[in-house]
Amino acid sequence: MKTGAVPVRLVIGLAVAVALDTALQLVWKTGVADLPETSSLVELVGAVARNPIFLLVVAFMAAQLVNWLKVLDHADLSYAKPFTSLSYVTVCVLSVLLLGEHIAPLQIVGIVVVVAGVWCVSQTGRTALDRGAKPE
Amino acid sequence: MSPTALGVLLVVVSTIIEGFGQTFLKKSALDIARRHHWILLGVAVLIVEVLLYSGALRFLAVSTAFPITSLSFVMVTVLSRWLLGERVTPLRWAGVGLILVGTSLIVAQA
Repeated sequence: MKTGAVPVRLVIGLAVAVALDTALQLVWKTGVADLPETSSLVELVGAVARNPIFLLVVAFMAAQLVNWLKVLDHADLSYAKPFTSLSYVTVCVLSVLLLGEHIAPLQIVGIVVVVAGVWCVSQTGRTALDRGAKPE
Repeated sequence: MSPTALGVLLVVVSTIIEGFGQTFLKKSALDIARRHHWILLGVAVLIVEVLLYSGALRFLAVSTAFPITSLSFVMVTVLSRWLLGERVTPLRWAGVGLILVGTSLIVAQA
């Protein structure tokens, strides 16, 4: 990746990645909550097929994949991935505001620790050979 | 088993499966002779993961279920070290520890 100013296209791509991740989770939860209480797998599959929300879930998944591949055209995985962990925060905030979910203080601490963990996990080179490591 | 415990179990199993799915997709880039075999296996496994996560969302709030999916980073790190022989830096192991602590806090409050 080039050093210096972050390209606007990359900033937009990362923002879209977080937005799509967030929208996917909220729509997915809404769709699952709409499903009937039944133990019949056939009935459940039929309910999923009839509910347009699940088409939206698939569309968001496809859009997420296309956008992510575009983002990786402009940035290393280790640079881009930590930004997507912001969606852990946005999903929780919007699930409270839009779905009326309740979040306890300990969960907020847990989410902050998770975001820090994802940041650490993502701080590695693209491949082992990039870092000068010998294959084991 | 309580519905919450079942939901947590489904998310955890789905992240374990995602770890294997990602490893199979990586294998497809390394084992060119059986590339299609690994891709099919990877995609099949990821479909199972989607079904399990959908099941989990029936029992858990999305604000609980989604952060637990960060365990997939732990699984990918462990499996890439174990099955692919990739080098894992100390910082990455520290991240694995933080994710385990963070998800434990979230599960404790679920």
